[in-house]
Amino acid sequence: MKNVRTHILVCTGGGCIASGALEVSDALRQHVQKAGLSDEVSVVETGCLGPCVVGPVAAIHPDGVFYQNIKVDDAEDIVNEHLLKGRVVERLVHKAPTGKSIASLNEMPFFQRQVKVVLRNCGVVDPLKIDEYIARDGYEAMARALTKMTPQGVIDEMKKSGLRGRGGAGFLTGLKWQFTRSAPGSRKFILCNGDEGDPGAFMDRSVLEGDPHSVIEGMAIAAYAIGANEGFAYIRAEYPLAVQRFEHALKQARELGLLGRNIMGSGFDFDIEVRMGSGAFVCGEETALMTSIEGKRGEPRPRPPFPANKGLWDCPSCLNNVETFANVAPIILKGAEWFASMGTEKSKGTKVFALAGAVVHTGLVEVPIGMPLGEIIYDIGGGVPHGKKFKAAQIGGPSGGCIPKQHLNVPVDYESLQELGAIMGSGGLVVMDEDSCMVDVARFFLDFVQDESCGKCPPCRVGTKRMLEIVTRICEGKGEEGDIERLIELGERIKDTALCGLGQTAPNPVLSTIRHFRHEYEAHIRDKKCPAGVCPSLVSAPCSNACPAGVDVPGFVSLVGEKRYAEALKLHREKNPFASVCARVCFHTCEDKCRRSTLDEPLSIRGLKRYMAEQEVTVSLPESIESEVNASRKIAIVGAGPAGLSCAYFLARLGYKPKVFEAEPRPGGMLVQAIPAYRLPREELAREVRMIERMGVEIETGSALGRDFTLRSLRDDDYKAVFLAIGAPDGVRLGVPGDHAAGVTEALSFLREYNIRGSVPVGQDVVVVGGGNAAIDAARTAMRLGARNVTIVYRRTRAEMPAYEEEVDAAEAEGVRLEVLAAPVEVLSQDGRVSGLKCKRMRLGEFDRSGRRRPVAGDDEFIIPADQVIAGIGQAMDVAKVLDGVPVRLRKDGFIDADPQTGQTSVEWLFAGGDSVLGPASVVEAIGGGERAAVAIDRLLTGQEHAFWRQTKPVDTFYDPEADPVMYPRARMQLLPVKKRRNNFQEVELPFAEAIARREAKRCLRCDYKGQCSTR
Amino acid sequence: MTSTPRINSPADLAAIREKAKSQIELRTGGRDLRITVHMGTCGIAAGARDMLMALMNELHAANVDNVTIQQSACAGLCDEEPMITISDRAGGTHRYGRLDKAKVRRIVQEHVVRGNACPEFYLKQ
Repeated sequence: MKNVRTHILVCTGGGCIASGALEVSDALRQHVQKAGLSDEVSVVETGCLGPCVVGPVAAIHPDGVFYQNIKVDDAEDIVNEHLLKGRVVERLVHKAPTGKSIASLNEMPFFQRQVKVVLRNCGVVDPLKIDEYIARDGYEAMARALTKMTPQGVIDEMKKSGLRGRGGAGFLTGLKWQFTRSAPGSRKFILCNGDEGDPGAFMDRSVLEGDPHSVIEGMAIAAYAIGANEGFAYIRAEYPLAVQRFEHALKQARELGLLGRNIMGSGFDFDIEVRMGSGAFVCGEETALMTSIEGKRGEPRPRPPFPANKGLWDCPSCLNNVETFANVAPIILKGAEWFASMGTEKSKGTKVFALAGAVVHTGLVEVPIGMPLGEIIYDIGGGVPHGKKFKAAQIGGPSGGCIPKQHLNVPVDYESLQELGAIMGSGGLVVMDEDSCMVDVARFFLDFVQDESCGKCPPCRVGTKRMLEIVTRICEGKGEEGDIERLIELGERIKDTALCGLGQTAPNPVLSTIRHFRHEYEAHIRDKKCPAGVCPSLVSAPCSNACPAGVDVPGFVSLVGEKRYAEALKLHREKNPFASVCARVCFHTCEDKCRRSTLDEPLSIRGLKRYMAEQEVTVSLPESIESEVNASRKIAIVGAGPAGLSCAYFLARLGYKPKVFEAEPRPGGMLVQAIPAYRLPREELAREVRMIERMGVEIETGSALGRDFTLRSLRDDDYKAVFLAIGAPDGVRLGVPGDHAAGVTEALSFLREYNIRGSVPVGQDVVVVGGGNAAIDAARTAMRLGARNVTIVYRRTRAEMPAYEEEVDAAEAEGVRLEVLAAPVEVLSQDGRVSGLKCKRMRLGEFDRSGRRRPVAGDDEFIIPADQVIAGIGQAMDVAKVLDGVPVRLRKDGFIDADPQTGQTSVEWLFAGGDSVLGPASVVEAIGGGERAAVAIDRLLTGQEHAFWRQTKPVDTFYDPEADPVMYPRARMQLLPVKKRRNNFQEVELPFAEAIARREAKRCLRCDYKGQCSTR
Repeated sequence: MTSTPRINSPADLAAIREKAKSQIELRTGGRDLRITVHMGTCGIAAGARDMLMALMNELHAANVDNVTIQQSACAGLCDEEPMITISDRAGGTHRYGRLDKAKVRRIVQEHVVRGNACPEFYLKQ
């Protein structure tokens, strides 16, 4: 045998085989031969390396280079470049999020944080070669146990190690062995549970496929310890490769005498038979599994007697799962202390997880028990793809539960997970992003359990069926009050009364989603809304569903596509009067949810809206009801921001003539006070305000609540209802030493002063603190007013900035400097004037309740010279001050407690909406709140609902459901060049040209299409 | 499977392990010596590929299996090619330049087999 210098380890785990690993492996071998390297290079097929999502993958040793997404055609380059010339094939290596290539296996974050005990040989050895397993100290532990240890000695070592069963329940393995050993009986069995069936879990399969001998060795040691001579490995038939490799391994072990009679001359006899399970989930339950091995129908039986006393064929039997057995040999070899040094107080060792779902690196990972969940998902898994937000991790499969983002810091161990209503389970870890509906997830698992319930006991068979019926009803929008309580009651009953583990844990996914996401159930039941945009009966299109004002997005987009601009605008204003305003400042959740992004990128809905608004020549008034009775009912609206004006608009459509009181000299609220003219030209706002005035709404400016009138005086003036939309117009002070020096201000007063009064003092060196839109607006305004240096200081990283990304980009282009991971600690001043801002360097630490990493102060301090410091760190409102003793209930955070569906406060005639209820929120949420309050006020005064605009009307645009989607890329709005915009307040964004707009509109996939369209 | 004899004792097991170990250590970085052949364009032009073959043949002939052979890019000393670098586990590195087949044989026999470095072939600094 020639001395081979290089090994190419091609992963042939199930995942990579499915992506074509076997063909890649063949191609590599061919090219190695063609290049004459057969004597120097061997191609080895190994078990799972882990990062299944980028398969087929291969590692080249001794170089330690890792290649991913290998195609058959890449084999030639790997051979010619890497093997012949020693050059890494850059295009096949892993790319870090920064875009940097990482060729080395050891430098990839995915591998760096892992500790491989169970997977020690997976991806290193050829699972078909017993020699390679032996070379990795294989069967050494068995040799030691058989020749140097007593069975009790083995059990003591296992007990000392603290290893707990990896199948899910976490029972101490050593103790289980002890029970079986102590049980009377001459014939005993050791059983391996390879009936892995949780959706999304494939740990056991990978071990069986990648390192079958580790399971055989573990079983043999266990058999020796408990006094068994026969073993069964119960592997599901859906894992043909695992069965094949395991059987191959058994054959090899027998040939070498590692199984069979008188193993290694010790006098110990042991052999293993494989039993294939035909995929019934319940057969993962120990008693059902044993019944199945006996050749009977796989049904559980009550315990006790426990299998340790009466198991397979009524003999004492010990069942452990695949991963548990794979842990045994290293414990015997390296000692219990070594094993117990990993993990937590009560949970020792490592755990393998199958990462699946909305995570960048789906695949197989092994980590020390107790690693925080967030680190598994973000540091190893690479986080949630496509910029979506993490919502929950489903852990433990159909028996487990969900962990929401508030608990990303939870150490993953048996006890901590149980406290949160989940379980460690066998290791399935499904990451879900904001697009998952938790009610739908619960329905999925119930449906699974219904399919898999063996039917023996009624709680499981009938109980879960009833639960499924209720949850399905909720998903279909037919949920009723009391459904949640019914589900909880049923769930608790089933947990208490079901016969086996399957039934006892079946309600967990429902109970845990109710526990952490009750509001989502309530939204389905009360509001008939699916916030995630999943449940088909409740969602017409995800974009419209995500719009807080409920605009018919596919409707107006398709009308724009047919050049029917007036109709498009009219349709938009059915739900949202501020088409032109929102075309500029809306935070477009519609685009975040656009399903087109699964194909390429979301539709530029805001861009289309802008184009539509540009086409408006004269504003036409919306459809309204004439009503003298309503016109005579006096309604006051306090605050002419988007919430107040929207409420006025919808009340006017119902025939009311509400009066709006505004404290500032100009109507518009934050739209005019805070948002700069380069984002929202004042005429655009004025046009839509005029429209509302023309509908019979009176706006009185310069009239402030608490100064010029009070809530009581409004009541004295016979106002029947009042809508409070006073916003959150107060800035928040920095709260660091020195923040009272001259030259320190806060963003909202800075912006208001410029936008309303027309001028504001601006320094030469301006530092803006904060990462929200107000901070960015202040920075860009300061730049335009002549500041020399503008620096934004933000304590987290750019990715966490709440400001819209396009705004941050534009600010940077205009010369604003970002200083991220920095927090102010002191404002320095000279002679009472600001001279600089002392900052501390931050780093991202643990996960906080918002699911983001909390910034933690480091030791480094630095000073940014400044003659003006603007704090843009929050908005507030002292609501109590203006309430005039009217007993309105406030929330803990000081904002008004109002019914989210009606805006009604604890005082019957007083309604509220916008920022004064939500805290600082968005324009379109305020508009939605105004509409809901208008409908509720009408209902209060008339006792009926007249909101005719809420009826959905089909839009008669053409749509061909048979046609393929058009493949144009997303159109981007052009910006005014930096030079032309940096010194003035001209609008920065430029509208689409007509051809671009119409083409963009055609990109819409028409998710709203339900076969009802006409074919004009 | 080649017809491996039956394992009758832990000693038999250890024998198989010793035989198979070197192949696995190639993957896990467990070998004692690492020889890097510099294979930039300059190296290849100067005959690095032949040196690599010579090295492997010599190692094979000397029945040495505790050496990892690796390729690398140009070391920046193109004039000295063909070059190899030998690093041992203790962290020592020895750079040999302007090699030919005879020198490679000497280096394998002296440095690798007997553990005596050959300073006469070191790079001229």
